[in-house]
Amino acid sequence: MSEAIQPAPAGETERSEGHELGRSLVSHGPLIERLLAGEFICAVSDEGAFGHLQDDVTREQIDAYLRPLNRRLATNHEGSVVFLAWRALDEGAREQLSRQLAETVNSLLPLLEWLQLVQEALGRDGPAAPGDVLKPADFSSRCEDHQGLRERLERLASDPFFGSQSDQLDAQLKQVFKRLKEHGYLLQPHADRQYYLVTAKVDYLIDLVRFIRDEENLPVDDQAPSGQESLL
Amino acid sequence: MSDDPSHALESRLISTGVERLALLGKYAEALMAGYARDEVPVETLSTTALNRLLAARILWRPDERGGVKLAPKVRELVAEMLADESRRHVNADVAETLELLRSLVQSYREARDGGEYWRQEQQLLRLRQEVDDLNGRFADAIDSLWRRLNGDFGFVSRLGDKIRENERAQKQIVRLLDGLALIDFDELIELVGSDGALRKLLVSGLQHQLTQHYTSLREVQRRLVELMARFRQQQSRSRLVAGMAGFLREHPGFVPGNYARRGEVPVLVNQATPLVAAGAAALDHHPDSRALTELLHRLPRPVSRPAPVTAAGVAAPQEDARVAARQQALKEEVERFYLAVVDGDEALSALEYRQAGELEWDEEIWLFQVIAEFQGLPRNEQRAFRLSQQETQASPYNHLRLIHDVIVQLA
Repeated sequence: MSEAIQPAPAGETERSEGHELGRSLVSHGPLIERLLAGEFICAVSDEGAFGHLQDDVTREQIDAYLRPLNRRLATNHEGSVVFLAWRALDEGAREQLSRQLAETVNSLLPLLEWLQLVQEALGRDGPAAPGDVLKPADFSSRCEDHQGLRERLERLASDPFFGSQSDQLDAQLKQVFKRLKEHGYLLQPHADRQYYLVTAKVDYLIDLVRFIRDEENLPVDDQAPSGQESLL
Repeated sequence: MSDDPSHALESRLISTGVERLALLGKYAEALMAGYARDEVPVETLSTTALNRLLAARILWRPDERGGVKLAPKVRELVAEMLADESRRHVNADVAETLELLRSLVQSYREARDGGEYWRQEQQLLRLRQEVDDLNGRFADAIDSLWRRLNGDFGFVSRLGDKIRENERAQKQIVRLLDGLALIDFDELIELVGSDGALRKLLVSGLQHQLTQHYTSLREVQRRLVELMARFRQQQSRSRLVAGMAGFLREHPGFVPGNYARRGEVPVLVNQATPLVAAGAAALDHHPDSRALTELLHRLPRPVSRPAPVTAAGVAAPQEDARVAARQQALKEEVERFYLAVVDGDEALSALEYRQAGELEWDEEIWLFQVIAEFQGLPRNEQRAFRLSQQETQASPYNHLRLIHDVIVQLA
């Protein structure tokens, strides 16, 4: 099966089935390139591409293509983001993953604090979720009215993960949004307009947090206290 | 013959009704105060007014010593008029209506069989009103459910309350659906017999409307379940985020196990290194060479470097070409230094760079040119760099400062 899916050399085997499949892969070239570059693809970041990735045949084709690169398609638990994982884990890959994990763990607290800040500053029911629209201007107006929020934002922005050195609110916000964009948690649809979309990479982050909690048996509860409903 | 007493009764009901409805308007403020608070402020009402409101059952006194409150039906009416979702009641009460419909059909039949035309008309009117009421109650309930759903239960502010409101709405739907299930059309068909007017009202008309209600209720139920799943997810996420952030704050040194070293690496942790798909011009594929040639021709010509602007010396009528060349070389070295700053993405010391590159320029001249180059940049390009001078005061007696080195980094 997988041999037939290898991209056919140009100009040869015009009528073969392999060529047909190879040609349909060509249209996914830009998507494969973005995945290889380490991007997380979700319905917010690229609805069309994400739609294609829901198709079993397309996924198999892309996986077969990625095989020689020792990579495969992977998703989070609920399947809301697609990224590339190592197919076989050699020593180098494990080394790289260990480093990456350590980095992720270091960035966990600032990211979680940011999620909390968004929820509280904007008075939302839950932490930022895929598709939510965030505007730096909303934060600055809330922070101007509320000294506590202002101080928390200041502390957060100066965290090494965000790395703002400014003491100006707007510059701090700009830096926070910039870093979140760089890390793929936010998307800025228009470079000259100050509004951002939350991508499904936050789903991945939440899954990872839940995973660490379960693996390490951390005393962190995510269920509402039981008995509350039975009282009703 | 039998018309007169009935007509008299009707006109008496109407006049009393009008009188009592007017009470609602006349004491609207006191009544709304009672709606908003627990009790009606009796001090704003005269004794006569209070007695009339009590007689009209607009107000009631739950117990002798307690205050006066709005009657439940009036409260419901106000909630309904205001679409006040926190207090709107959903109650279709189908069983009782069915009971009433059966007895109305019976008396309609008796009137028809007895040839009492007027009474027959009256019974049909009552039947129509009851069917309309039943419909209206379902329509109202569905309207209230949709409003709550579309507003994401925004009339309560906390997520926990929204979840409870959603549960309550789902239970209401179950009761409404149970109510709909009580209506047995086979029974109604038998009940109406061959009477065309009754059949139209109780069978075809009602069936059509109830089917619509049923569809709406199912739809609203589906959406409520979806919304509930979202609420629950939000609740669980915010608890997880808050809990984990709290844990990490309390345990700054927390390090989880190295999952990358496990026999089976967890899916979430396995994230391959980014790979850049690079490409370069290749000449081994003949058909491409023409395209490449064209691209080559379209390359912008290198712009000739503008002659360096140097301050005219006082006594330099004929500039020494050798000096100019050295000046140009110095300027180019300094430009390379700035490019190294741009490429390296970290702070560079001008003197260390000079030493590392084994450049022959005198330290002072080198530093002077680094500063001059920075000052010669357009303002917007200057902003891209941060230039810090390491300097000391030359002597405590004046403000002369000596520059020992210049550190340049990207801003």
